Amino acid sequence: MTVLSIGLLYGAVTLLVMFAGVPIAFALGAVATLFMIMFMPGGSVDTITQNVYEEMASITLLSIPLFILKGAAIGRSPAGQDLYGALHAWMQRIPGGLGIANVFACALFAAMAGSSPATCSAIGSAGIPEMRKRGYSGGFASGIIAAGGTLGILLPPSITMILYAVAAEQSLGRLFLAAIGPALLLVALFAGYAMWRFRREFRDAQLLYAKAGTHSELLRPDTLTVRDKFALLPRVLPFVVLLTGVMIALYGGYATPSETAGLGAVLALALIALIYGVWTPRDLKPILLATLRESTMLMFIIGMSLLYSYVMSYLHISQSAAAWIVSLQLSRWVLLVAILFLVVILGFFLPPVSIILMTAPIILPPLKAAGFDLVWFGVIMTIVMEMGLIHPPVGLNIFVIKNIAPDIPLADVMWGTLPFVVLMTLSIVILCFFPGIATWLADAVMGR
Amino acid sequence: MSHGLDDVEAADPTVLATGPVGSAERVVDAINHIVVIVSSIALVIASFVLTYSVVVRYFLKISTDWQDETSVFLIIGAVFMSAAAVQARRGHVGIEAITVLLSRRANRVRLFLVDLISLMFCTYFAWKSWVLLHEAWVDNHHSGSTWAPPLWIPYSLMTVGMVLLSVQILLQLAVALERRKSVP
Repeated sequence: MTVLSIGLLYGAVTLLVMFAGVPIAFALGAVATLFMIMFMPGGSVDTITQNVYEEMASITLLSIPLFILKGAAIGRSPAGQDLYGALHAWMQRIPGGLGIANVFACALFAAMAGSSPATCSAIGSAGIPEMRKRGYSGGFASGIIAAGGTLGILLPPSITMILYAVAAEQSLGRLFLAAIGPALLLVALFAGYAMWRFRREFRDAQLLYAKAGTHSELLRPDTLTVRDKFALLPRVLPFVVLLTGVMIALYGGYATPSETAGLGAVLALALIALIYGVWTPRDLKPILLATLRESTMLMFIIGMSLLYSYVMSYLHISQSAAAWIVSLQLSRWVLLVAILFLVVILGFFLPPVSIILMTAPIILPPLKAAGFDLVWFGVIMTIVMEMGLIHPPVGLNIFVIKNIAPDIPLADVMWGTLPFVVLMTLSIVILCFFPGIATWLADAVMGR
Repeated sequence: MSHGLDDVEAADPTVLATGPVGSAERVVDAINHIVVIVSSIALVIASFVLTYSVVVRYFLKISTDWQDETSVFLIIGAVFMSAAAVQARRGHVGIEAITVLLSRRANRVRLFLVDLISLMFCTYFAWKSWVLLHEAWVDNHHSGSTWAPPLWIPYSLMTVGMVLLSVQILLQLAVALERRKSVP
């Protein structure tokens, strides 16, 4: 059989098994094993477990469960509500300040917890009811939280970035730094939109009041005093210290990324014990169980995705597919758009971890040949996958919002997230014109 | 994508079957319960080991050699050993787009086939893990680092974890067959 026919068969069998509903990890492992038996030399399949073990036994990859532990510890404590409350108090005078406070709270929380659904759930469970109480429409409120939550896979310590670093053989420290500028750009775009949309809803409420005398909560001024504002700070500061402390440990050369993960988890557990009194085995059980469940599921997908890529590479499928893409001699921007389109389509069905590990061997060589900086591309790819978290049909964050605010109709949530999908697309265009937004900080800290 | 707890995927997993299958389920449940507690502790220990590594290297100026590998063993062990517990709650995610297109009966058949494919793969992987463990034990394989711990440690955790996972899926198939018998 030719490489082309083996490649097509490999893709077709994978789609069939996955769409039948076999768990992603087992589907990838089973297809890879089957093709090893059928098309690779006799002894190859004997090393299957050694392959998986050696791929997984990387301390960088195994830092993922510890980052999840840190996120679960913070995510399941009242830290999200405190953070949100403090930001709200300090931003109340800005038009749309409540919405902006939610965007900022999502960004800060995402940077501490490193998970999109956890951010949505922690900030949204306090933020959405408050925004709605203050007259924000359900769609607008849920859009802010769903989009703000996606920053969890972009801001360090993003699990998506860790996997991209492994798959693309790029420096993790550089990738983490490269994500900060674009994340701030997204925060600025989201906050700008929140302010604009608030003004529009405010104007409509004023018109309605003038016409029919209906008083909207949007028109009620905030009444928090300076004392109230300062009273909220002590509960938030330790978490901000944790965030900066972990970053200093990593970039100050004190700790490797995996040690940072361990240190972050220990500090997060210590903080929730000291501030919220969460330390008994009964308190810690849900945190540890959630961590274990997510880590095991994710690490199995990662291990089997790596086996799947190994077989794809051994059978020359990835190299041939990459060479074919290069031979098309597409202009570099057409190539980029086509690849991002592929990522969007895959995002309908697969979690970011599988997309990265399965496609990296095929899409990265052509991108490199076209002269794209792979660290920059890692950021762009992550933003595209962020979009996958808030657009149908998968849109994980949409369903998280549906869980915490079940009375907002699904259609409203989806319409509410749409402007944010547009803003993310706009950020990608901006990053194409000004790649320095991503690369500047990484170059400045780590050299070119 | 599903997170594995909808009704077509599993009748309430907390309701145990009766008879020999039910007894086997109770035994595996009890093992999973213990494994989950030990694995959780292993994750926390791994965090402390890595934190210790930072502290002794930068504050006490002592070189570190065993910390990374110990953490790898602890985390790999936790991941493989708790795979069965995650499977018991249908926590290994899959694409469930097709479920809405099929009838309840067709979905039961589909789920049975899905479990069968999963079982075949996991059993094969468990067997190959055992072969790897046996080789590592007999030939006294060690890791290539300066600390060089024996590799039978992580391989045995991988093997036991995969055997447990296979037994868990086998039980889920047995429960599905039992339920089929009891449904008129």
